[in-house]
Amino acid sequence: MSRPPSNSTAGLSFHWSTGRRAENNKQDRVKIVGMDAATLTYDTLRFGEFEDFPETSEPVWILGKEYNALTEKDEILSDVTSRLWFTYRKNFPPIGGTGPTSDTGWGCMLRCGQMILGEALMCRHLGRDWRWAKGQKQREEYISILNAFIDKKDSYYSIHQIAQMGVGEGKPIGQWYGPNTVAQVLKKLAVFDTWSRLVVHVAMDNTVVIEEIKRLCMPWLDAAGACGETEGVGELNGCLEGACALAEEETALWKPLVLLIPLRLGLSDINEAYIETLKQCFMLPQSLGVIGGKPNSAHYFIGYVGEELIYLDPHTTQPAVEPCEDGQVPNETYHCQHPPCRMHICELDPSIAAGFFCRTEDEFDEWCMRIRRLSCNRGGLPMFELVDSQPSHLVSVDALNLTPDFSDSDRLERFFDSEDEEFEILSLRET
Amino acid sequence: MPPFDKTPLQNKPFKQRKSFATRKQEVAGIRTKFPNKIPVIIERYDREKFLPPLDKTKFLVPHELTMTQFVTIIRNRMALLPSQAFYLLINNSGLASMSLTMAQVYKDHQDEDGFLYMTYASQEMFGH
Repeated sequence: MSRPPSNSTAGLSFHWSTGRRAENNKQDRVKIVGMDAATLTYDTLRFGEFEDFPETSEPVWILGKEYNALTEKDEILSDVTSRLWFTYRKNFPPIGGTGPTSDTGWGCMLRCGQMILGEALMCRHLGRDWRWAKGQKQREEYISILNAFIDKKDSYYSIHQIAQMGVGEGKPIGQWYGPNTVAQVLKKLAVFDTWSRLVVHVAMDNTVVIEEIKRLCMPWLDAAGACGETEGVGELNGCLEGACALAEEETALWKPLVLLIPLRLGLSDINEAYIETLKQCFMLPQSLGVIGGKPNSAHYFIGYVGEELIYLDPHTTQPAVEPCEDGQVPNETYHCQHPPCRMHICELDPSIAAGFFCRTEDEFDEWCMRIRRLSCNRGGLPMFELVDSQPSHLVSVDALNLTPDFSDSDRLERFFDSEDEEFEILSLRET
Repeated sequence: MPPFDKTPLQNKPFKQRKSFATRKQEVAGIRTKFPNKIPVIIERYDREKFLPPLDKTKFLVPHELTMTQFVTIIRNRMALLPSQAFYLLINNSGLASMSLTMAQVYKDHQDEDGFLYMTYASQEMFGH
């Protein structure tokens, strides 16, 4: 994974050119590449003809897995298709009883939040290597995950729950969200998901505090007599055949962590110094991808190839799905069956949230080690800072004792009495 | 004084309100008077829609103050909740590392005029 970024883009069918941002606000461009009338299928008619995945020798990274685009195209597409794809829906029960019955035009960031959390739930209950198979009877865990996102009021992470919980974040139903807004809402909703028992931590101020996360994931370390803390196993304990699925006894040692890091990597455009670091995010085995978008349009970024980000796009309105009588959920519309969309990294809006999943303490420790190594070795600018503990001055804001020094400010006023604007003087006062 | 009771007199960025020579002179004067403080200009991103304006643009900040402490002060001024997004970008480009002191940030990022420039912004919203 330490291959240096190559300048060679030979073979990459870039359809992008530097500085082209004009089409950002439109639906994604659709190009006909290597497709003739004979290959038109139901899906190509439905979604338009999406550009095929590029023939390139550059490595393809999807959520911590490396692929070769020349020899592993089927594996790439199978991996992408296996991710949960949440899109705009219409004709769902009205939000809050009388609210909207469709999220077209406002719900794209909420859907991206569902996708990144959906990926975390898949890692939690099915493992990263699980693959979706079209038209087959699905595992119980899979059905339970999908049910957590179905568009009805009582699903753990439905559009209904997210939109209503957002009211507490100052977002009336139907308003646009940012990556931090949806991260904060998911953190609150995850508390009620007693099946997954996740810790969703949102690291603020571009700083990840290790001690804080360890306390959240191992709360029994803080509580005296913690033995009673490890309650019973989840409701669905059957058929955990995959070696990657999380064994229930592990959650007794560490509550699985979903770490979301909202960031702003520039003002109007992404600062190019962050581009290499952003790519590194998708190379970490703990990667849950990144939620963000082009200006105004939210996307769920799952990887990159060359200078292009690979993403799932929620901007397709599909009819809401009702679960069947037998408990199965018609799931075909929850998987993106066309080649994934791509865009140049420079088109990325600087407001993002990066996500990571650490199922065990060891995985979290390994993530910390990798992040530290990245910030030492690489040329790119770190997107966030990793610190061991909350600096003592942060624990209590009152302890700062930062007060304007009035004697100074009097002198200053006299000194600059002709000035239109005064300085405000901050002083650290000893107590 | 309550922080938001004044609307800024001018909306142009500080650098555009004053010439380079004036700014340089101002820094020289203030550094003589307050050698242990760093002159910082903190401005709101012009397209910011959620964070309130600050009533002051110019700050004199102790060398040993950390970025965490500085951000805490600004966040408190604006009465932000801990869950609200707030980012300080140095020279309109990079996020400041929170564990650095003002002196360290100043050393690497001070402007030619002698001020340290920071812009604050929350996050963009997505819909459409």
